[in-house]
Amino acid sequence: MSEDQERKILHPDFFTEDPEPRLIAGRCKVSGNWTFPPYLADPVSFQDEIEHVPLPKVGKLHSYTIVRRSLPDFPVPFGLGLIDFPEQKVRVMAQIEADDLENDLALDMDVETIVGIVRKAKDGTDIYSYKFKAIKK
Amino acid sequence: MSNLRDVYIIGVGQTPCGKYPTKAAHVLGREASWAAIKDSGIYARDIEIGFCGHVYQGMGVGQRTLKDIGLVGQPVINVEGACGSGTLSFWEAWRTIAFGQHDVALAWGVENLSKIMSGGPLPLEEDDIEVALGMSMPGLYAMRAKRYMDEYGVSKETLAKVVVKSRLHASKNPIAQFRKETTVDAVLGDPVICDPLTRSMCCPVGDASAAAVLVSGEMLNKIKRDESRLPIKVLGCVAQSGGYASATGLTCDPSENVARTSQMAYEQAGLGPEDMDAVEIHDAFAIAELIVAEALGFAKKGEGSKLIEEGTSNFDGNIAINPSGGLLSRGHPVGATGLLQTVEIVNQLRGEATGCQVPDANIGLIETMGGAQPAMDGITCVVSILGK
Repeated sequence: MSEDQERKILHPDFFTEDPEPRLIAGRCKVSGNWTFPPYLADPVSFQDEIEHVPLPKVGKLHSYTIVRRSLPDFPVPFGLGLIDFPEQKVRVMAQIEADDLENDLALDMDVETIVGIVRKAKDGTDIYSYKFKAIKK
Repeated sequence: MSNLRDVYIIGVGQTPCGKYPTKAAHVLGREASWAAIKDSGIYARDIEIGFCGHVYQGMGVGQRTLKDIGLVGQPVINVEGACGSGTLSFWEAWRTIAFGQHDVALAWGVENLSKIMSGGPLPLEEDDIEVALGMSMPGLYAMRAKRYMDEYGVSKETLAKVVVKSRLHASKNPIAQFRKETTVDAVLGDPVICDPLTRSMCCPVGDASAAAVLVSGEMLNKIKRDESRLPIKVLGCVAQSGGYASATGLTCDPSENVARTSQMAYEQAGLGPEDMDAVEIHDAFAIAELIVAEALGFAKKGEGSKLIEEGTSNFDGNIAINPSGGLLSRGHPVGATGLLQTVEIVNQLRGEATGCQVPDANIGLIETMGGAQPAMDGITCVVSILGK
């Protein structure tokens, strides 16, 4: 069994790793409006011609927090952030990784899409999904 | 809408906020509901319909509640709108009367959280992708706080002062969950839950119920009731679900929902923020009081902290915000909260506040904000305006 098959992945349809980690958004062919994740119908045009397209790898950290108390499946502390893709007018909430959570994060910094451990399953195994990582200047 | 009928609140009731793990939700609910019926002085059987707001209390809690006070057969609707469930049930009661379908309705909200959790963040819906990835309500509000504090130069000390004011108000309120005053140092010295929010900047886990009896203007003078009790008129009542944030730009801000909903309520009432004397707002986290006060028009954007720093939002200030102690200190038993807020404003307008009485309170406002959804500015927002 390959490593990929062994990994428990949350929402594998919302991102790709080929050739690099990117989120998969929806873009309406009629209005050009983007949503993440893709909706069934577009909130601007109310049409359902939605194509699935990757967002840029790098977004901007609109805000963040260091979570120190959470539900049991989420080992603390971890970073949680709102990541903006200004051109697409999409904001995504996701976990944020940094070598040093206390000192490496800053508002409006660039963060890149990665795939990593986001939580534990009930049986204690790791669950993977998309998250973001601070890009050091 | 000019053809709406007049609606009055003629009775209110509430239980204390606290932890009652052995009290079932319907037991709390029947206490508050019966208290509201007794306060109104009506014959209980005159209630034509009931609306019960709750989030985590299971099947048929509304029916179980009313069975224990002799009310069966009439329609009972259980209402869920996250933290706005209580006021959403009030809105349902208001609109069925305003639109002429019923003349007498009971609205109540109830929650027993301590039966399902001892502390920590509220369990949210795992089908929401953000929740599955680790979002909690403290986490969400902490991110709002971080950005807001950076943009407007607001300090942690100001956030702590929101809690100090809240505890001061609650210290005089016998139904409040936290009745001890606190200090800025104590608030900042508490453990951090999600940076920059410390534990006392987050609302507690607790249980309670609150209820209101509503009647039509036509019925006000026909129904047998206790006429010594001052009826309070519903001047405006608006419920809105969250709007798309991603379709309107890069916002992820519940204050947009509050601004939109309150604007509609102000228009319905023919009043503005300057007319409000006492308000109960959804301060689930200290930062929310600043953001929501701005959204409601009590301060310009980015200047909500002035209300705290200048004492304007104290119970005896220009615009009394959360004289009950609010969610931070009176408590936030989720489904009960909106009705607790409503009962507080009714008591304020009657001059019968259980705690801090706002001087010369003639008009009051209630704002409740429920939940979070990816790319939306909340799940439910309800704003009511009451007058005597």
